[in-house]
Amino acid sequence: MISHRDRNAQRIAALDERAEALNLKRGMGIADARAMHPSIDIVEADPEADRRLLEGLADWCDRYTPLVALDGTDGLYLDVTGCTHLFGGERSMLDDILSRFFHQGFDVRAGLAATPGAAWAAARFSGDRIVADGEEEALLAPLPLAALRIDAEVRASLESVGLRTAGAVMAAPRAPLARRFGTSLLLRLDQALGRLDEAVSPRLPVAPLSVERRLAEPIMLTEDIERLTGMLAATLKRDLERRGEGARRLALLLFRVDGGVSRIAVGTSRPLREPLLIQKLFHERLAALEQDIDAGYGFDLVRLSVLTAAAFDMQQADLAGETSDDGADIALFADRIRARLGEGAVLKPVAVESHLPERAVATIPFAEAPQRTSPPKQPGKAKDVPTTVFQPERPIRLFRSPEPIEVPATEMPEGPPLNFRWRRALYRVARAEGPERIAPEWWREAAGQHDAPTRDYFRIEDADGRRYWLYRQGLYGASQVPPRWFMHGIFA
Amino acid sequence: MATSAVARETVFALRRQIAKIEGTLPERLEAPAGSSFDADVSPQTLTFPRDLTPPRNLTIVRRGLAVASQDAFLRTGAQRLDAALSGGLPKAALSEFHGAATRDAGAVAGFVLSLVSLILSQGPRLPVLWIGTSEIFREAGFPYARGLHAFFGIEPEQLLFSEAPRLLDALWVAEEAARMTALAAVILEIRGNPQRLDLTATRRLHARAQSAGRPLFLLRQAGEPEPTAAPVRLILSAAPAAARETIAGPLAGSIGRPAFTVTIGKSRTALPGQFTLEWNPDERLFEERRGEQGRAQEWAKNPVPVVSASRRREDPAAASGAVLAFPAVGSPAAGDQPSRQERPAHRRPRRTG
Repeated sequence: MISHRDRNAQRIAALDERAEALNLKRGMGIADARAMHPSIDIVEADPEADRRLLEGLADWCDRYTPLVALDGTDGLYLDVTGCTHLFGGERSMLDDILSRFFHQGFDVRAGLAATPGAAWAAARFSGDRIVADGEEEALLAPLPLAALRIDAEVRASLESVGLRTAGAVMAAPRAPLARRFGTSLLLRLDQALGRLDEAVSPRLPVAPLSVERRLAEPIMLTEDIERLTGMLAATLKRDLERRGEGARRLALLLFRVDGGVSRIAVGTSRPLREPLLIQKLFHERLAALEQDIDAGYGFDLVRLSVLTAAAFDMQQADLAGETSDDGADIALFADRIRARLGEGAVLKPVAVESHLPERAVATIPFAEAPQRTSPPKQPGKAKDVPTTVFQPERPIRLFRSPEPIEVPATEMPEGPPLNFRWRRALYRVARAEGPERIAPEWWREAAGQHDAPTRDYFRIEDADGRRYWLYRQGLYGASQVPPRWFMHGIFA
Repeated sequence: MATSAVARETVFALRRQIAKIEGTLPERLEAPAGSSFDADVSPQTLTFPRDLTPPRNLTIVRRGLAVASQDAFLRTGAQRLDAALSGGLPKAALSEFHGAATRDAGAVAGFVLSLVSLILSQGPRLPVLWIGTSEIFREAGFPYARGLHAFFGIEPEQLLFSEAPRLLDALWVAEEAARMTALAAVILEIRGNPQRLDLTATRRLHARAQSAGRPLFLLRQAGEPEPTAAPVRLILSAAPAAARETIAGPLAGSIGRPAFTVTIGKSRTALPGQFTLEWNPDERLFEERRGEQGRAQEWAKNPVPVVSASRRREDPAAASGAVLAFPAVGSPAAGDQPSRQERPAHRRPRRTG
């Protein structure tokens, strides 16, 4: 038995058949139930876990249709339009769903109808029924008002005037109903009867292309999954070619026999359709996820979906049948590393117009980097362009966050330090150049925000010849807080 | 020198013993005839003990790198270093670069990037991949594209970085990258002496680099030398930079071009040596550090003024006073510094009237 807190009282939220046999009911106070049967076992409700379970079931139902939507806390909508023939008709599909759920240990009611409202009513009030097109009225007429998915208040007021079944409401004149009970009642009625369209919003975006294979014998080995992925990708290639597209994001769905679903996604930096390369990408991803994927009793359905597709640029091959494209090699290499080590594993620097050193270069993931459109510069050409702007000296390595250093003394207040302590070691400054003053970028600061102090950068060479880039944040005497020193980079 | 000569004789004797056991001759018993780089390594330094001198009619079998042509080597441009490495660094191989401590990361990275810059100037402009563990990028700083461009002429779009959380991942990325021909060079940077990077791991990396024909530079910060499959190991540290050259001579107190002290830890010739190289970021080439004498010699050899005479007007008037490095340590605070009250004036809200 599961309890939940409702208006300051613990009440029964759900109960099993044995508890029902004891004349306990939903909504009954826990104190009353205990008084009747002191030995009952009560568990606190966990809506989060329920939600996760329902989502897991929704994932699993993906095997029947890509359009799966959650219905409240205890229901699922499956839009099986155009999918039933794959399972041998509506009846056998419903039987398949019910038997599989039963074997997983769930007590499930299902209904199948032309409208979501009618299917909802059929599942909850008439049990495992397939409602043919046009029979919605006959289905709903004898059912109680709750089958219409209306608010409890509306339902109570309808019952108070003697309309106790859906059929009675349907028989009543519409205009007074709308005036008295609001439009939501008629909306629900029309939706159930198919007079108004009702959209079921699926949980996940529908993949434009999917190929799947059902397996009589479940597979468990990673090698088998990879080989199957290659076969599915070969099927996918034909479809992609027909559409003139390549995949940018791919997902591999592994449906476990006992209902678990693993979803494995990979991204590509260029549109891809070659089965071998797709197989390679999933090989890396599977290798990285080896610990996380639990094959259990094996997978009996494997689906490969293209989540995002993009136009595929054809390339002319040479007579040997090979296209030489270094960029494609690198893109594939980056994709494989990304598949195994994550999105930020391959980074590309991009120069940004900014005075602040840490902001002047942005490192972005390879896939998001703009593809180079202009041909690469010829070596030596760059020197011909006269550079009139003085290039300030910049270190070759920059610390992600400047490291604070201790500066015991400077000879003059605004000058470089004489020595400093960095990472517990003392460095003696032999030579110094600077300062180079870099002021904060006030145009980026939000209004009202106190402006950051300026930085004075020094190039320092220590007694051993190592070169560093230090800065002093703030000025002496500008404020009460004495300036602080930071190590920001290392020179060659 | 005497001890090292004895040591070398021992090395050659041992090599000959190995050759006898293996049934082949060692790849390199003497400097190849007609080699153009024997400026310093004269044949006399490679003499054998009398009882081990090979007979004249012996066929010399050379294997591996010894039979490689001179194109297979990356010449650093520093004559003596190239000669000591017998031609330079092998291009299609793993090369190791060590720094004694993490704080030497700038020098080690700088030297390797200079080599990358040399490679890029010779071949097509392919990308360069820099792989590092998160640890080394945190400890020694992340490569800064602006500085790399300024010092080594490597465009930001030519650079790719790969940051791996674990050493194992970094090695995997490096092995995958080493077999690619679409990269100009691969830099793998790690810290310390991890167990994973043993002789086997370096051999795997070396084999892949060899088959792809691309260099793989292994940077080991704060690592002890240990057995490696790399044919060359160089130990690097920073050298004090020379002062900046100006028209009026070196500018006192300034920090000039990057300089490195290169020690050969392992090479094919097993010749020891220590060199101080200076990287010229403008010409993008190495120059060996010469003392004051060398500079004077160059001046005598090439007595052309550094700056051409002005064409239209007369020479500019000589600057009054002595030329100083403007922020030199120890120079007294000059009067041209604005006073403390004046300086933050631009930061104050402006007053009307």
